[in-house]
Amino acid sequence: MAAEGVEKTSEDASSSGKVCTRFDLEKETELRFEVEAGEAADQVELELLTGMGEVFGSELNRNKKYVFGPGSKIAVFTWQGCSVNLYGKPEVAYVSKDTPMLLYLNTHAALEQMRKQAERENERGPRVMVVGPTDVGKSTVCRLLLSYAVRVGRRPTLVELDVGQSGVSVPGTVSALCIERPADVEEGFSVQAPLVYHFGSTTPGTNIKLYNKLTSCLAEVFSQRCEVNRKASVGGCIINTCGWVKGSGYQALVHCASTFQVDVVLVLDHERLYNELKRDLPHFVRVVLLPKSGGVVERSKECRRDARDEKIREYFYGFRGLSFFPFSFEVRFSDVRIYKIGAPSIPDSCLPLGMSQDDTQLKLVPVTPGRDLTYHVLSVSSVDDGDEDARKSIVESPVCGFIVVTNVDTQTQVMKVLSPAPRPLPRHTLLIMDIRFMDMK
Amino acid sequence: MADQNKTESANNFYNEILSPCELFAARSRSHKLPARGQKDFYPDDSEEQRQRLQQSLDEHWRLISEERVERLGNLVKGVWIPSDRIVELQSPAGKFWQTMGFSAEGKQYLLPEEALYLMECGNLLVSHQDLPLSIQDGYEMFLSADAVSLQQYQVFGHLKRLGYVVHRFDPSSEPSSYARQLNLPPSRERGGRQLKRKRSPSPTPTCSKGESPAEKMEEDDKLPESHLPTSAEPAEPQSCSSGSAGEAGARTWWMTDVPDRQADKRPSPGSPSARSRWNFSAIPFPDLGSTGRPRTVAPPDPSLLPGGVTVGVCDVASWMQKVNLREVRMSGKEEERERRGRRRDVNKDREVQRCRNWAEYHELLARRQAAREGRPAHLWSGEVTPLHDPTQPISTAELLEKISVITSTNLLEGASRLKGSEEWRICFNVYQPDSVADFKKSNPGKPYTRMCVCSFDGPVPDLRAIKQLAFQSGDVLVVFAVVDHGDISFYTFKDFQLPRDVFP
Repeated sequence: MAAEGVEKTSEDASSSGKVCTRFDLEKETELRFEVEAGEAADQVELELLTGMGEVFGSELNRNKKYVFGPGSKIAVFTWQGCSVNLYGKPEVAYVSKDTPMLLYLNTHAALEQMRKQAERENERGPRVMVVGPTDVGKSTVCRLLLSYAVRVGRRPTLVELDVGQSGVSVPGTVSALCIERPADVEEGFSVQAPLVYHFGSTTPGTNIKLYNKLTSCLAEVFSQRCEVNRKASVGGCIINTCGWVKGSGYQALVHCASTFQVDVVLVLDHERLYNELKRDLPHFVRVVLLPKSGGVVERSKECRRDARDEKIREYFYGFRGLSFFPFSFEVRFSDVRIYKIGAPSIPDSCLPLGMSQDDTQLKLVPVTPGRDLTYHVLSVSSVDDGDEDARKSIVESPVCGFIVVTNVDTQTQVMKVLSPAPRPLPRHTLLIMDIRFMDMK
Repeated sequence: MADQNKTESANNFYNEILSPCELFAARSRSHKLPARGQKDFYPDDSEEQRQRLQQSLDEHWRLISEERVERLGNLVKGVWIPSDRIVELQSPAGKFWQTMGFSAEGKQYLLPEEALYLMECGNLLVSHQDLPLSIQDGYEMFLSADAVSLQQYQVFGHLKRLGYVVHRFDPSSEPSSYARQLNLPPSRERGGRQLKRKRSPSPTPTCSKGESPAEKMEEDDKLPESHLPTSAEPAEPQSCSSGSAGEAGARTWWMTDVPDRQADKRPSPGSPSARSRWNFSAIPFPDLGSTGRPRTVAPPDPSLLPGGVTVGVCDVASWMQKVNLREVRMSGKEEERERRGRRRDVNKDREVQRCRNWAEYHELLARRQAAREGRPAHLWSGEVTPLHDPTQPISTAELLEKISVITSTNLLEGASRLKGSEEWRICFNVYQPDSVADFKKSNPGKPYTRMCVCSFDGPVPDLRAIKQLAFQSGDVLVVFAVVDHGDISFYTFKDFQLPRDVFP
């Protein structure tokens, strides 16, 4: 991309002892910069000097320094033109004229038009599903649309179905979050009282049945909320999906569109997916093909894993590991019941007559606590402990929190856990995830 | 009746002693009651009917104003004590003492309803402030709404005249369900106290006051019957919750109008099917995929955008080339699945085209699914569907369970947890007439039945009341005596089990 309009007016050492670079952005251009990943990398600070700018839909305050940690990939966009200072040494920084922001803004305008109509006619607002392969900026588009919606006074809901890179809770979960203010420039959306369901793995392919079931659960809860909360109903929802768009992954997308009764599907940068969805979704669903931004960077497997780890660390220690102080205590095996959702599949010929394989995928399998439990992330299910009837619905029950097993002592039958709250555990039904987290750093 | 004369003075009263010839006339008077014929109704405004009515009315008045002549020696004398609302006997009681009255501190007492009944029978002369009371005085003084009501007395008198032994019901003398379950014999001590308890101001004390310790314990520990399913209460019809005559409980014995509950059942607003579809031709999405549409999107209305943002025309066409058009790499297995799954466009389907929203589309899919499975669609499309899908295998026992939509319930189910109501109370214990010969007031034994007095004007007892009364009464049947201006009808609700043919 062309990096024109850069004016390195002052490359002197600033007060913080960092290199300072000034960028003057024209109208409807974007400054993209990446911060080097890795432990030793320096942070980069961003300051808006004049004009107005926004980062993924959230406006920047003038003369406030925003800090971006290692691995950040940021785009500062301006509708009117602005000048910013970057302190520190970004891995790469350039100004691009070529951004699809205008298309995204027009998409927002169309959605807002639908919300206005919904408000007028006392109906529900648009339900939008954002689909596309990996690394096309689905989460960013969601964040953008949600921030714009909040900025015009709506209360949209973010439905996070990306189990690999959840923007709301820890990986391995699907969740819904009511958005009431624009995303923080550094931290993203403030996570308050999200509705989280346990999935247990970072790819929907490990248990597609469960994935579809949880999608239906979320859709049902969201519909219930819409019935009682007019504002949430008009705000509609924006559904972020997985990057898996083939085979069962594609079927999961169609299922999601069907259960959420979506009105608009935004396909990012995948014409084939666009055509398939046009074919498989009924005509009253508007399927829209949008380009991806040139600023989107492909992430490696390691990068994704690090992001997942960071998300779990953020759950326990707060943003940048500074704000929260988790507890560590021992839990006796006899006090908890640990389950795994989904039994290993058996050939159909071995199954009892009339039983199908589907049943095993949603089955609860008790897990005997042992040494192999160490470092696993466990979800604390909100199911009532005593209630036998409730136990049947563990799969469909939301999660009230997560703990990590840090140590297992098989001799004394206790395990040591990392928990965001002091003992005792609020509930005693735990669901095991495939995801592990080592509490180092 | 000698109402006026009796009330005048004691002297006058002794002047009332009849001369032999008068006495003779009185003795030889006919004691036959005039037979009341069929109720000859429907007023036709004719003079003939009016006359007939007037005649029978006169006859009635004549009958009740007739002076009653009794032997002074046969009259038991009593004094009305208004503070305690009882009658203390001054002279030895007669034969009625076997089934009525009670003694305390060496004195003999009668309850107001008993005294009034005996006055009406001509066995008792009650005086108040040294003046003898007439029967009319007795009605006025002895009966009151908070003690013994007129309706209760009417039932009492009716049963007494038929020969039954009628006692006030004392809830505290009933063994609690806990004691019942343990099969405790009624305690002697309790039986002994019973007579004194009869001084309770009315036959209708609230049950909550008279709870025995065993009953309380049961409340606290929930020991017996606590295994009842928690759904016992919701299973009751709505009318249970309110005893007020305002709403559902207002069904009277006459059943003049059936409340139409369906009337206020409105279809809930905001149901998905009510939603009209969006007009996407008027909502400009910047769609790269659509061909033949305008290549540019007009600048959106500033009111739709966040504050401070104004933009120009958006050129979509320039982005067309930049979209990812590359073929997707697919494994052989995926390829295979893709080929098999390759369906034609769902929107080519005429029926899908007719669907306006997801609700209709889902309905269409469900209908087709049903058609594929060979179920008659019209049966499953409505709100009411068959109980069972014949294509699904099911065991006989489960099927029978499914068929029994109305499950049998025991009348006493969940009753132990109901709180007693003020409105419905058991008033009397009733004992068989043939038990009179060896009847003991101190140990009356198990009553034949228990009476709950209510009026035809009032509401019909709801399930809650019936449950609660049946529970309170234990294994003795509760009968509702319904008073209609002096006419008394008796109703009872019996518990029965629906028969089951097959036992799994």
